[in-house]
Amino acid sequence: MNKISVIIDEKKFDVDPQKTILEVCRENGIEILTMCHLKGLMDIGACRLCIVEVEGINRLLSACTTKVAPNMVVKTATDRIKRYQRITTELFFAERNHVCAVCVSNGKCELQNLGYKVELDHIRYPHLFPQCEVDTSHPWYVMDHNRCIMCTRCVRVCNEVEGAHNWDVMNRGHQVRIISDFNTPWGQSTTCTSCGKCLHACPTGAIWPKAIVQGQLEKNPVMVTELVERRKMKL
Amino acid sequence: MDKRKIFISPVTRIEGHANITLELDDNGNVSDALFHVNEFRGFEKFCEGRMYTEMPTITPRICGICPTSHTLASVKACEMIQGIKPTYTANLLRRLMHIGQNLSSHALSFFHLSSPDFLMGYDSDPAKRNIIGMAEKYPDIAVRGIRLRKFGQELSERITGKKIHIMGIVPGGMAYPLTEENRKALLKWIPEALETVRLGINIIKKFHEDNPEMVRTFATSPTLYLGTVGHGGEHELYDGKLRFMDGDGIILQDQLDPARYLEFIAERSVNWSYLKYPYFKPYGFDRGFYRVGPLARLNVCSRMKTPQAQEEFEKFKHMSGGKPVHGTFYYHYTRLIEALSDVEDAERILKDPEVTSLNIQHHGRWNYTEGIGSSEAPRGTLFHHYKTDETGKLLKVNLLIATGQNNPSMNRSVLEVARQYVKGDDIKEGMLNRVESTIRCYDPCLSCSTHALGQMPMVIEVKDKNGNLVKRVERN
Repeated sequence: MNKISVIIDEKKFDVDPQKTILEVCRENGIEILTMCHLKGLMDIGACRLCIVEVEGINRLLSACTTKVAPNMVVKTATDRIKRYQRITTELFFAERNHVCAVCVSNGKCELQNLGYKVELDHIRYPHLFPQCEVDTSHPWYVMDHNRCIMCTRCVRVCNEVEGAHNWDVMNRGHQVRIISDFNTPWGQSTTCTSCGKCLHACPTGAIWPKAIVQGQLEKNPVMVTELVERRKMKL
Repeated sequence: MDKRKIFISPVTRIEGHANITLELDDNGNVSDALFHVNEFRGFEKFCEGRMYTEMPTITPRICGICPTSHTLASVKACEMIQGIKPTYTANLLRRLMHIGQNLSSHALSFFHLSSPDFLMGYDSDPAKRNIIGMAEKYPDIAVRGIRLRKFGQELSERITGKKIHIMGIVPGGMAYPLTEENRKALLKWIPEALETVRLGINIIKKFHEDNPEMVRTFATSPTLYLGTVGHGGEHELYDGKLRFMDGDGIILQDQLDPARYLEFIAERSVNWSYLKYPYFKPYGFDRGFYRVGPLARLNVCSRMKTPQAQEEFEKFKHMSGGKPVHGTFYYHYTRLIEALSDVEDAERILKDPEVTSLNIQHHGRWNYTEGIGSSEAPRGTLFHHYKTDETGKLLKVNLLIATGQNNPSMNRSVLEVARQYVKGDDIKEGMLNRVESTIRCYDPCLSCSTHALGQMPMVIEVKDKNGNLVKRVERN
């Protein structure tokens, strides 16, 4: 396969032209922050954390949805990028009701880790404090919209891997919500197979098993990636 | 009538904020006292709509001093909802953590907050009458007090990895076992902890000897008492039944299942405080004031579970000929007897061969729509009451906190002491501190905030009936 040359953070790499900037960076140990990306699922560039600067293009591009091109010059850690990543993280926390101290996911949460990574010590934007529902209707799992960041990893894993398409997205802007079937309580869904993949794909404490309390939650998003890769090998 | 008022705001060296208003009559005598709690937190309301299994994580955040008691009451309510019981080892570990919290809280109350009054005197310089002043004048005692608190916190830390707002107490048992290494490390603390508690007992006894009149007459109104006791009436903090006793020592109710608390306890709101007024239902609001906490627990129980504490308990009982002791000042003494019992009990548990077992959790799921749990917090009996829908979502939450139950009695004690020590608008620092120290006897925890250093400025204003300023005194 023909390889192309790209320069990322002033280092030259010879890479497969079918790969995204994110894939190349991850393979070469260059850290890129992500929330909506989960290897194995289709990338949608929703969270805007993986933004990079590409020489010759004024706007920032999402690394997960931008493929490498010959002689592309990429910068991943400029002050401008860091500033935007910090803003994005603050907006995640300001949009809904994230209370890490009492969250079932405390200590094992990707959003919490993101906060540490961007050194989030305060939030400059007013919290919206929306009244969000906690859907406890499923016999095994809870969907807490207060902790959802709309990464849609649950929607994609349910559709692309499980093939059930129980989850989808409703409304726009800050009214946007993850819904089950046609906005019915999760426990009444006719499509959910109760497989639990959405639970493992969820990066926060939005989806969690009822039998679990804080300190006992073990999410394994890598399981989704491995499952997808095993299926590809079979094919 | 020319009614005048004295405001004491805020009360220092208690956990939280509170104001006291003293109303004076025409002759300058205190006619009424109102103990105001100014905070509103709303836990009962915002927990509605959450899963019941989240409560053992949310409710410890009510208080940074007694989070373990909240967790225990909460998991017990959850276990009632699930219809399961914890394992033997889980009970041992829970008891250890509860002892740790009790010791830590009692050490804070006695050595950090109250001992400056006993060792330096009520009328000494307020700027020095705190733990920092103690560290300068009595460094050994201050350090010992801090280390006793450290031992208490280490009991939690070595089991769950956290000192405050602990995790790991879960419905059905515990999430983490105790390792052999940690068991041995905790056992090493016992001799020092016993010595420190003994030192505290000597300090309070000396104060009793030196100030017999004050101790004897310090807010001594009889009240009812509520505490948890074991099957044989023994002193109990973690798991037992309730006992109500009247001021003469007659047992009104015994071996009551905490799940029946609403049959015996009612609450009333007042318009000057966010803290409600609970009372013993059969006696009504006017006669039903009861006290909880160390004094109440030692008044209601028949014996202590450990030998050294039993010896001290007998001396305590001897003081009133076996009848309940009403003097509010004896809260300090009873707190230390409990601390003694805690250290001895911790040693017993740490030597139990089952304490390091890995059989620490039973598993359950939602089965019932209602759960009630109780435990003895350092400040008294604590109730958590949850109602859920058929999916486990909380519909109603009722939390009856220890300090709330002492509220009517605190109010009455303040009135009593104020009548004795405050005369007209002749306000002296020592007098006001005595009114405050009445409150501190109860060691009230009005929120999770702590003001252990007592550095807050205090402004006292005497006002006439129409709100006109008669006199203003500033502390510091």
